[in-house]
Amino acid sequence: MTASTSGFLALRWSNWPLALVAALVLIPLAVTLLPAKFSFWIAGLGVALVALTLVVRAAGRHKGGLLVAPALAVLFVMNIFPLLWSFGLSFFNYRANRAAPPSFAGLEYYGRVMTDPVVWNRLHTTAIIVILTVTTQMVVGFLLALLFANDFPLRRYLLILVLTPMMLSYVAIGAFFRYYYEPTFGLLSQMVLLVTGERFVLLKTTGGAIAGIVFADAWMWSPFVMLLVLAGLVSVPKYLYEAAAIDRVSRWRRFWSITFPYIRGLLMLALLFRTIEAFKLFDIVFLLTEGGPGSSTETIAIYVYRMAFQYFRTSESTALAYILLFIVIVLTNLYLYFANRRAKEI
Amino acid sequence: MSTIALKKVTKRFGSFVAARDVDLTVAAGEVVCLLGPSGCGKTTTLRMIAGLERATSGDVVIAGRRVNDLKPERRNVAMVFQFYALYPALTVRQNIAFPLSAERIDARERKRRLERVAQILHLETILDRRPAHISEGERQRVAVARAIVRDPNCFLFDEPLSRLDVELRQSMRGQIKEVLSGLSKATVIVTHDQLEALTMADRIAIMREGIIEQVGSPHDVFAKPTNIFVASFVGTPQMNLIEGKLLRFEDGRAVLAVGGNETRFTVDAAACRLNPSKVTIGIRPRAFMPADDAAGDTLTAVAELVEPMGAEMLVHVRDEAGQELRVVVPRDRRLRIGERVHLRCDPRQTHFFDESGRAVRS
Amino acid sequence: MRDAETAPLLERLGLRRRHGVGAAGWAWTLLAAVVSLIYFAPVLWIILTAFKSYNDALAIPPKFIFTPTLENFVGVFSRAFSSGGAAQNTGFSLYFFNSIFIAGSSVALALIIGTLAAFGFSRYPLKGNDIYLFVILTTRMLPAIVVIIPIFLMFRVVGLSGTYAGIIFLYTAFNLPFAIWMMKSFFDELSLDVEDAARLDGSSDRSVFFKICLPQVIAGLAATAVFGLILTWNEFLLALLLTGVETRTVPVAMAQTIGGDIGVRWGLLAAIETLFLVPVIVVTFALQNYLLRGVTFGTIKR
Repeated sequence: MTASTSGFLALRWSNWPLALVAALVLIPLAVTLLPAKFSFWIAGLGVALVALTLVVRAAGRHKGGLLVAPALAVLFVMNIFPLLWSFGLSFFNYRANRAAPPSFAGLEYYGRVMTDPVVWNRLHTTAIIVILTVTTQMVVGFLLALLFANDFPLRRYLLILVLTPMMLSYVAIGAFFRYYYEPTFGLLSQMVLLVTGERFVLLKTTGGAIAGIVFADAWMWSPFVMLLVLAGLVSVPKYLYEAAAIDRVSRWRRFWSITFPYIRGLLMLALLFRTIEAFKLFDIVFLLTEGGPGSSTETIAIYVYRMAFQYFRTSESTALAYILLFIVIVLTNLYLYFANRRAKEI
Repeated sequence: MSTIALKKVTKRFGSFVAARDVDLTVAAGEVVCLLGPSGCGKTTTLRMIAGLERATSGDVVIAGRRVNDLKPERRNVAMVFQFYALYPALTVRQNIAFPLSAERIDARERKRRLERVAQILHLETILDRRPAHISEGERQRVAVARAIVRDPNCFLFDEPLSRLDVELRQSMRGQIKEVLSGLSKATVIVTHDQLEALTMADRIAIMREGIIEQVGSPHDVFAKPTNIFVASFVGTPQMNLIEGKLLRFEDGRAVLAVGGNETRFTVDAAACRLNPSKVTIGIRPRAFMPADDAAGDTLTAVAELVEPMGAEMLVHVRDEAGQELRVVVPRDRRLRIGERVHLRCDPRQTHFFDESGRAVRS
Repeated sequence: MRDAETAPLLERLGLRRRHGVGAAGWAWTLLAAVVSLIYFAPVLWIILTAFKSYNDALAIPPKFIFTPTLENFVGVFSRAFSSGGAAQNTGFSLYFFNSIFIAGSSVALALIIGTLAAFGFSRYPLKGNDIYLFVILTTRMLPAIVVIIPIFLMFRVVGLSGTYAGIIFLYTAFNLPFAIWMMKSFFDELSLDVEDAARLDGSSDRSVFFKICLPQVIAGLAATAVFGLILTWNEFLLALLLTGVETRTVPVAMAQTIGGDIGVRWGLLAAIETLFLVPVIVVTFALQNYLLRGVTFGTIKR
């Protein structure tokens, strides 16, 4: 039997449709029939085959393909593939601490997750923290930018000092803010001691814990917002201000008509970026309060983590993670939309 | 009363002197051009009138008031920037109306002024577009519109036509001149393009290295330059400068030693007072007239390069003394390379400069 | 952008228009100093605490004036694990090495692969370029938790858990999207005329890339490097789950030091963090001009 050299069934390295079909057939079979250890390898092989055929096809046609291929490959393996894998996993009944092969569960986990009151509670908590910390960061960052937009002596060095919080590791920040908030020898408590004569336990109440988290997070990231806004402020051409001076326009109008359009896009960018990051809020909360007191400051990201690594409800956690991913993708779309608009505007 | 007066205005940046002892007056309705090469201090001077630079010393007087200490907002001047400085986030309409928010006029008057200005500069069709979406020429007109929609003390233009292509420049020159003549305000235009200056200005102030070399009408500046710099800066093709040594005077004509030969030139009577010294003769390219034969007052030269300029021809010749000269002849006077030609100078277009470069004139 | 006449002049003289010289300027400086101090104070406190003895660190009220000691810095690398016990090597020299090695390698790899890919995206746009780029950006935005579970399993199965290769590979993927976006924006800016001229002169594609394009985008490389290093350096969650005893990075080790040992030795912790902070500050200071560009994902060009 001779293999034809063209057409759908041709056994060529660039025949990606064939490879795709083969993968789509083999992988589900392997997953359902074989234990995870083997099915993983089969799935990996299948995927790699498809990728390889695509690459070979592209390489033959476009130089660009060759240049781009390694990057796409890395991203595929480390990001896309795990994503697809976990997406598939979320439809199965899989628990990481059991050796049994998983059984198909359909949308059961998604349903479970969406109706789980704990999930909604955690989302609620996350939303509160996100709104508070992002608002604080934006306001403070904006004011900082206004300050540093002026030219004054030592500006450069002071600016670097303000950027130092971003350079600390989360662990250190978590540990040390915990230290500051510590009722016995923490700085905050001692300052309050001087004023009221009583020890102050910040992290004891939910409100206090949230305040502590928001303060630490805003402290760390408001310089980021400042950098963005500052970039905008500084990019306004000086001659526009000169023209405005000659046109005898009030300072307020000058700000609105000239300055603001330049920073509007950046403010949007900062807002979206920090919101997306805040959604993923894990490190700071975990290290400061571990989700406490009780579980009142547990963010949704921490909950997913616990679900997966403490309770071993693997599939359920992937379902939840996917819902989160969906939210993030929507936000990212917004981010890109505004980023493009800004590029076109000025 | 819309006037501008600069009295011994000097501007220093550290140890560098950008403008030195500038004296200038601009009457109401007069257009004065500051003309000169890059770095001569003309823009600095303009900016000092606007208030964007502070004069180091001297008086800046606008409408009879000394304004040295006033910020631009308080001076009530209108300026058209070289890069137009249109507000990118506002529409053309909003751009033009922007300065009106500072004046106390009602909405109806504002609308009326806007429409009138838009009509004068033919901007009606683009009023609702943003600066990014209109052409260069349109941007320029919007910048001018923004300036004239007000009722300022004076108008200042910083290289208004430098970014336009040649055709646009021509039409805009005419348009601006027309607009300005209807407004009777003191106007100062900065430019490095002498054609612009010669066509648009009532008077031209030529600047070099921070100093005003000459102030005069376009005609004066062209026909009676006060020194070598002005003479060679104004007029295209550039004036020929012949260096030589003044020997003596004979029959009212100067006898010069130019490159070993003796040549006679008819010069201004005031030159008689000069002692024998190094002098420079300036002859405009169009001052040469081809003669049929050699004579005592002609130069003999050989054509080396011919550049057709449409109705005229620019011929580079080399005379017997080895000097290179530029000569403009009408097109039908055909000259070939290598051809010998005899040239006579028109004494009215012959300028005589003493050894310091100053023109000698009665 | 000033007008053509005064700009070259003033630049030549090194003079700029300074508003804020004199009393007004120093007023701003005072305000900025107060603000900077608020931001820097906790960092300063950490650095100071690193020099305090055990008792000084816990003093009530907190001591600002104390006799500095280097015992914490020594203790980072070797200390007694139980009271009265002998001083042992803590392994932190390994952890520091790991952090440097892992962060450095992954950023370098991301730069290489990412720059090539960015060049491909920029010069040879494929059909669906925008989709590729969007997907790439999305991977940057992914919550780590979404990928962590399958990656964790993957690593365990393949045997990459706890190896250098595994975590470096992952961090490279972590830094790639940013590197690609950043470098693409730089490549997009380059004028094609120079490249065309070189091609006409007979240069191959490869030498056009290395001799002409690459030198012009050094700023982009620096911006990517700075931002990538800062993020990777301090990364905690992925390192926590995917590094083993041999490959642990400093943040993970720090977290464990808090848990174990004799109580919470703040001085020790501060010393670790201070040492850990030094490379970041050095890199940021050295490449500060490029930081801005990095932070804004290349949308702001200076």
